[in-house]
Amino acid sequence: MSTQYVNNPEAAKEYVPRYRPIYVLLAMTFILFTARLWYLQIIKGTELREFSEKNRIKEIKLTAPRGLIFDREGRILVENLAAYDAVILPQYVDDLERTTKVLSEAIGLESDKILQKIQKKRKQMGPFAIVKVKENLTLDEVFRVQTLRIDYPGVEVRENIIRSYPLGPNGAQLFGYVAEISKKQLPILNQQFKDKIVFEQGDLIGKSGVEELRDIELRGRDGYSFIQVDAHGRELGATDNKILGQQIKDIEPTPGHNIQLTIDRDLQEVAFKSFSDLQRIGAVAAIKSNGEVLAWVSTPSFDPNEFSKGISPDLFAKMINDPFKPFRNKVIQDHTAPGSTFKPLMAITSLEEKIITASTIVNCPGSLRFGNRPYHDHLKGGFGNISIFEAIERSSNVFFYKMGISLGIDRMYKYISLFGLGSRTNIELKRENGGLLPSAAWKMKNVGEEWQPGENLSTAIGQGYVTATPLQMAIAYNAIGTEGKVVKPFLIQKLIDPRGQVIEEHHPELVRDLQKLQPNGVKISPQTFQTVKEAMRRVVQGERGTAKHWKVPHVEMAGKTGTSQVRSFNADDIYTECTSRPLNYRHHGWFVAFAPAENPEITVAVLAEHACHGSTGAAPVVRDIVQAYMKKNHPELFANDKDMKTIKIMPVKPGVDPSAIDGE
Amino acid sequence: MEFGLRVEERNFFSKLDWGLILIILGLNAFGLLNLYSATHGISSEEMGGLFYQQIVWLIVGWGLFFILTIIDYQFIGRLAYVIYILNLGALLGVTFFGKVAYGAQRWIDLGFFRYQPSETMKMAMIVLFAHILSEKNSMGPGMGFRDMIWPLILLLIPFGLVVEQPDLGTAMMLIAIGGSMILFVKVRKGIIVSALVAVAIAAPLAWNFGLRDYQKNRVLTFMSPTADPRGTGYNSIQSKIAVGSGKFWGKGFRKGTQAQLEFLPERHTDFIYSVLSEEWGLFGSLCTLTFFMVLFLVGIKIANQANDKFAALMTVGVLSYVFWHMFINMGMVIGLLPIVGIPLPLLSYGGTSMLTTMCGLGLVSSVAYRRYLF
Repeated sequence: MSTQYVNNPEAAKEYVPRYRPIYVLLAMTFILFTARLWYLQIIKGTELREFSEKNRIKEIKLTAPRGLIFDREGRILVENLAAYDAVILPQYVDDLERTTKVLSEAIGLESDKILQKIQKKRKQMGPFAIVKVKENLTLDEVFRVQTLRIDYPGVEVRENIIRSYPLGPNGAQLFGYVAEISKKQLPILNQQFKDKIVFEQGDLIGKSGVEELRDIELRGRDGYSFIQVDAHGRELGATDNKILGQQIKDIEPTPGHNIQLTIDRDLQEVAFKSFSDLQRIGAVAAIKSNGEVLAWVSTPSFDPNEFSKGISPDLFAKMINDPFKPFRNKVIQDHTAPGSTFKPLMAITSLEEKIITASTIVNCPGSLRFGNRPYHDHLKGGFGNISIFEAIERSSNVFFYKMGISLGIDRMYKYISLFGLGSRTNIELKRENGGLLPSAAWKMKNVGEEWQPGENLSTAIGQGYVTATPLQMAIAYNAIGTEGKVVKPFLIQKLIDPRGQVIEEHHPELVRDLQKLQPNGVKISPQTFQTVKEAMRRVVQGERGTAKHWKVPHVEMAGKTGTSQVRSFNADDIYTECTSRPLNYRHHGWFVAFAPAENPEITVAVLAEHACHGSTGAAPVVRDIVQAYMKKNHPELFANDKDMKTIKIMPVKPGVDPSAIDGE
Repeated sequence: MEFGLRVEERNFFSKLDWGLILIILGLNAFGLLNLYSATHGISSEEMGGLFYQQIVWLIVGWGLFFILTIIDYQFIGRLAYVIYILNLGALLGVTFFGKVAYGAQRWIDLGFFRYQPSETMKMAMIVLFAHILSEKNSMGPGMGFRDMIWPLILLLIPFGLVVEQPDLGTAMMLIAIGGSMILFVKVRKGIIVSALVAVAIAAPLAWNFGLRDYQKNRVLTFMSPTADPRGTGYNSIQSKIAVGSGKFWGKGFRKGTQAQLEFLPERHTDFIYSVLSEEWGLFGSLCTLTFFMVLFLVGIKIANQANDKFAALMTVGVLSYVFWHMFINMGMVIGLLPIVGIPLPLLSYGGTSMLTTMCGLGLVSSVAYRRYLF
C-alpha cells in the first residue's frame, strides 16, 4: 500500500513552496497576453480594422467611358464599344486546376494556356492582379462563364468598354491607340499626377497620337462599386449586407472629354484610299490655309483596333520589325530632302535678292561645271534659254545651280528659314522632327568644316543637308499660296466636356506674315509671290509642267514636284531607270500643291517614299484630295459635269513622258 | 424538516466548491454565446447544428463532472495503470482503424462520437503521473535521474504513438503536461541543465529529420506570415486581423466580418478566440483571459488544501492541462506562436475536448469535495 493515499494533509503541505513558480508563470502569461492584445487591438486596431474592411469590401471598378474623337463636322473618328471579358481573380480561386479546366471548356481555350496567362500575370503584376483569360466573349460564352461563377469562386465576366477605330488603319498614327499601362510606367504616372489621378494596374492609357497627347482629358475618372464578399469572393445579397450594417455608396464614373479635330473624315478617307490604292509608303498632309489639318495619312499603317482587342505578340513583333515602320508618324517624323519642291523657295529668294527678275533669261545647258566636277540636269540636252517660269514648270536644275552659286547658303537660309524649314511647326503632337535647313554657321558647329561652295549647288535643288517633313512642306507652300502667311498647323479644334460644354477651343494662329518686315530684315513683296505662284501654276496647268497629267477639272492648282535622293549615284547611274533598282534604293517622290492657285484654300503635301518620281508617285494623291475638297466645298463648279467618271482618273504610264520626270 | 434536503444531500451541496463551478459555468456561458455567433455566419445551414451538438456535450460533460466529484479520487488513483493501459490500447487502435482527417489519423469513429484517444491519454497521463510522482520526495534537492526514468518511459510511449499519427501539437502537449508535473515535484538542477542542453542539440536534428513538411511550414510561416498570404500563413494573418479589428469594444455580437464572412478558418474550433476577440474586442478578450486566471487561482487553492499529495499533484496536472491548452491556443490566435491544432478548453467546439476538460475539472472538484473529510 503506497503512502500517498493516506489522508495526510500535512504531507500535502510539502508542496506549498512549489506553487510559487506557478503564480509567477500565471502572472507573466497574463501580462504577456494583455500586452499583445493591447498591441493588436488598441495600437494596431484602426489599421487592422481597415484590413478587415478591405477583406470584405470588394471594389469593382466602373471604367469611365473614354472621350470620343470627332471630325470637324462631328462625325465619329474614335469611339467606344461594349465587350465582355472572362477574367480570373486568383486570390479567390479555391482549386486553380479544376477552375481552369471547367473554364477552358466554357470558352474553348486550352487550360494550359489559361494557367500560363495566370502565371505570367502573377510574375508581371503580382498575385492579386486580375487575369483576363479571354476578351470579347460571344454571348454564349458570357452565359456559360456566368453560370460557372456560382460554383467556382474567382471566375467572372467583366463588362468592358473597348476602344474602337472605325477608320481602322487610316490615321492610326494620328489618332493613336490605347493599351494597358506597363508596370514600369505605372509608378512614374502616379508620381506625375499625384493627388489628381490614380492609375491602376490594367488601366488603359493612350500610347500614341491624340490618344496619348490628350490622355488625361480623354480618360475621365473611373468610378467604383463596393460589394460585400465572403472569404471565397462570393458576393452577398442585399439582405446579407444588412446583417453587417452599412453599405457603401457607389462612386459613379465621370466620362472623359470629347475631342473635335480639324480633320475632315471625307478627305481623310479619300487621302488614305488614294495613297493605299497606289500602294504607297509615306505620308500625306492636307491643311487649310488657316492651318487646320484636314487629312493626315502615314503608311504602312497598323490597325489600332488590334490593340483594343489585345494584340498578339507575333503581330506586334512583326510590325515593330517592319522596315517601313508602321508606327512612325511619317507626317512629322520622316524628314527627307525636299528635292525640287525646294525650288519655289529658291525662286523667291533669288527674286527678292535681285539675282534675277521675272523676265531674266538664263542659259541652261545639260550640265554645269563647278569646281572640278560637272553638275547635271535631268534632261541630258538641257533646257536652253529659260526664265524662272520655265525653270519651275519644267524643273531645271542648272537654273537653280546658278541661283545657288549667286546667293550663297546664308542668303538662302535667311529667306527659307522664314517659311518654317529647319524648325518644328509646333503642331500639338509629340515627337515632331524639325528637319534641317543648313547654314554656314550650322555646318561649322555640327560638322566642324567650312561650308563648301559646291554645297550651294546641291542645296539649291533641295539635296545635301536640307531635309523637311511633309507637314513643314505643306506649311511652306501654304505660305507661298497665301502670299506670306506662315501659319501654325493644328489638329484639335475643341475639347468638349460630357455635358457638352466647350472647355477648350483652338483658333488659327499666324506665326508670321512675310509681307511685313521680319526681324532679320526680310520683307517679301507681293509681286515676288505672284511670280512664283504663276510659275507653280504652270507646273500643273502648263503644257510642259511636270504635273500636267494631274489637273483637277474646273480648278487651277499650283505646286511643285520633287525627288529626294535616297543615296548618291555616280553620273552614269543617275540616268538608270529608278524603278529597276531595289525598292529601298529608289528615290522618294514629292508633290506639294495648293488650290485654287490664285487664292488657295487647301495645301496638300505628299511624300511617296521609294516611289521614284514626284509626278507619278505623289501627284495623283494630291489631285484626288484637292478634287474631293473642291467637290465638297464648291459643288457649283462641278454642277455641269454629266459623267463624274470621266474626271476621276486619267491613266498615265509612268516614266513615258520625260517631262514628267523632274530634276535631281 | 419536511421540505428540506436530507443531511447527506445537504452535505453534498455544501461540500462542492462553488467558486470552481461558477467560474466554469461562466466560461461555458461565454463559450456558448460565442460559438452561436461562430456557427451562424453565412453558411449557417452547414454549421448551425454544431451549436446544439455542443450543448449536448456540455450536459454530458457536467454529468461526468458530478460523477467524478462523487467518486473518490483515490479509487481512480489506484486504477491509474489500468486507465493508462486501456488508453494505450485505444491509441494503438487508431493506428489501425483511425479516420484520416487533415492528413493525420486521430479518431476512432464510434458512430455517435468520434473518439480521439490522444485527448483522453492526456488525462490518463495526469492520473498516472500523480500516482507515481506523489511517492517522490519534493523536499531535498529533487528527483534524480533514477527517479525519473520510469515516468519518462511511460510518457514517451504515448508520445511516440501520437507523433506517428502525426499530431505534433498533441504530442508536445503530453510532454508539456508531464514535464510540468515532474518540474512541480522538483528535479535536480543538474538534470534540468543537461535536459536543456540535450534539447538544444536535438532541435536541429528534429527539424532536419523528424518534422514533416507541413509542420515545418507552420513554423516557417509563423516566422514570416506575410510571405505567402494565401498559403500557410493565411490563417495566422486572418486571425491577427480579426483580433485587432475588434479594437476596444469589439464589432458586436454576430457582427464580426472576419468570422461571419468566413475569412477566419476553423473559427468554431481552433480559432474560436479570434471570433471572441473580433466581436467583443479587448474588453471581451481580457474578460476571458481573466476568467481562466481565476480558474487557475481557484484550482491552486484546491490543490493547496488537498487531503493528500496525490490529490494535490493531480489537481496541478489538470491545471497544467488547461493552462497549456489555453496558452498555446491563445498564443497562436494572437500571433505569438505558430499555428497548431490545439483547441481552447471550454470555448472551442468539440466533444472530446469538452468531455476531457470536464472530466479533468471533475477530478479537481472531487479533490475539493474531500478536503473537509478528515
